Amino acid sequence: MKLKLYPVLIKLLFGLLIVLPLVAGLSYALSYSLGLSGLLTKGFTLDYWLKALMSKSLWMSFLYSLSIGLVSVVISLCIAVSMALSWNKSIQQGRFSYFIFLPLCFPATVMAFLVLQWLSPSGWFSRIAFELGFIHSLNDFPNVVRDFYGIGIIFCSVLLITPFFTILMSNIYRNENLLELEKLSKTLGASSRKTLRRVTLPILFKKSKMTLLLFVIFVMSSYEVPLILGRQYPQMVSVAIVQKIQKFNLDDIPLGFAMSVLYALLVILVLVVFGKPSRKYLKPNIK
Amino acid sequence: MISKVLKYSFAITVVFPIVFLLGLSLAQQWQFPEILPQEWTFQHWGNSLFKQGDILESLFLSLGLSLTLASLVSVLAFFMSKYIAYSKHRQLYMRLTLVPYILSPVVLAVIFQYYFTVANLSGNFIGVLIAQLFFALPFGIVIFNNFWNAHLKSIEQLSFTLGASSRQSLLKVILPLSKPAIVLCFFQSFLVSWFEYGLTQFIGLGKVKTLTVMVFNFINEANVFYAAVACVMLILPPIILLYLNKKVLILAR
Repeated sequence: MKLKLYPVLIKLLFGLLIVLPLVAGLSYALSYSLGLSGLLTKGFTLDYWLKALMSKSLWMSFLYSLSIGLVSVVISLCIAVSMALSWNKSIQQGRFSYFIFLPLCFPATVMAFLVLQWLSPSGWFSRIAFELGFIHSLNDFPNVVRDFYGIGIIFCSVLLITPFFTILMSNIYRNENLLELEKLSKTLGASSRKTLRRVTLPILFKKSKMTLLLFVIFVMSSYEVPLILGRQYPQMVSVAIVQKIQKFNLDDIPLGFAMSVLYALLVILVLVVFGKPSRKYLKPNIK
Repeated sequence: MISKVLKYSFAITVVFPIVFLLGLSLAQQWQFPEILPQEWTFQHWGNSLFKQGDILESLFLSLGLSLTLASLVSVLAFFMSKYIAYSKHRQLYMRLTLVPYILSPVVLAVIFQYYFTVANLSGNFIGVLIAQLFFALPFGIVIFNNFWNAHLKSIEQLSFTLGASSRQSLLKVILPLSKPAIVLCFFQSFLVSWFEYGLTQFIGLGKVKTLTVMVFNFINEANVFYAAVACVMLILPPIILLYLNKKVLILAR
């Protein structure tokens, strides 16, 4: 009896805590966006979806978020790979490893607050620039916070994700025995540059592909950072969705829900098409 | 030599944000273009911890929420991931687990909010805890995913062969071996809850004032000194946990 009850209980918990909330949430958002529920319900309509799909600001939000996600991940990846390859031993053990882990203790909210205090026109870097004579007033300092290109958001995201990538790359380097492979490659006559290009980087990239994709999505959907460091237009997708749903204009709420369903579908689609979880990751370990 | 200089520079760069936040939390006046505060004071700390006590209250609320969530996730994820790992449908389970994990917490909050309002769970501790559980549990299962391997399964089977009951096998064999994975899951789930803002703000309706919510409130009020106090409190427990976690993991090995 006990043995039969256990799987039922686990399945029930899985359904209740993981599947049901998601299905219920997406169903509500979908029904709201189709005019089937909500404060202004008029019966089934595709108006909100058409409006959402034709909305320039929505696609701009998606593109803006995607480009910020991609740029942040590429910059972090370059820094992380350089650090992992140069300091591989120190990252794994010793006192220095604590310094690599330390930035992981900073929540996005704190990091965004710090970047605001550093890079805003009256921020710390602006003060240093003023003291060194590079600028003569607040307005001379380049606008890198709440700017059109999202430089502040990218800078903050890079600070947040680089430690993750450094540890990830260092682990892959160790687990895949890359040091031995590099030695072998050099013994066979390859130069250091060629070994890096043909052996080290392809293996590191192949093994971290899925994680990199997850981090692009993570940056794309970040909320706290663009809320502090972003501007009204263009907006990151999470901020745009929340603003639509929280606005006093009731007509915007179904539009916000349509955006949230569309965003969820796009994320799932991107993962299915580009980021098929690796076989190793999903393969049953127990036979 | 260059590598050493770079290493020390990196260490200084990493410690600098902590020093900066501490400096900001102790500043009384810090007008442009001064690089260092013109006046220093312990007033913000005194007010936050003793006089008004609102940040201290938030600290205990955040600690309570994060510790409860981390305990819940560690226990549930341990048993659920074990079942999933041995299941024929492991691929399907893991794919379903990844979906809430990859969606933005704030988007999840927005689509859950209706049900929490109907169930009268909005604006209170339990509601926020349940909402965070929906997001953190898949994360916990992902952490445990690769822990259940053939080696562990064979050790468990060996304990059965030697006459241990399911309970004995769990308590005397599996749990001691799982200690590093459980600690890791606890630590990570704690951080997920500790760092969370969007979900807490929307489901908590601003009434569940965790430290992250307080930081945002102070930023909106342009009260940078108190925001810095809250930020220091926000980064302190993860730093302590990081130190303990590394030690525990090394000892466990």
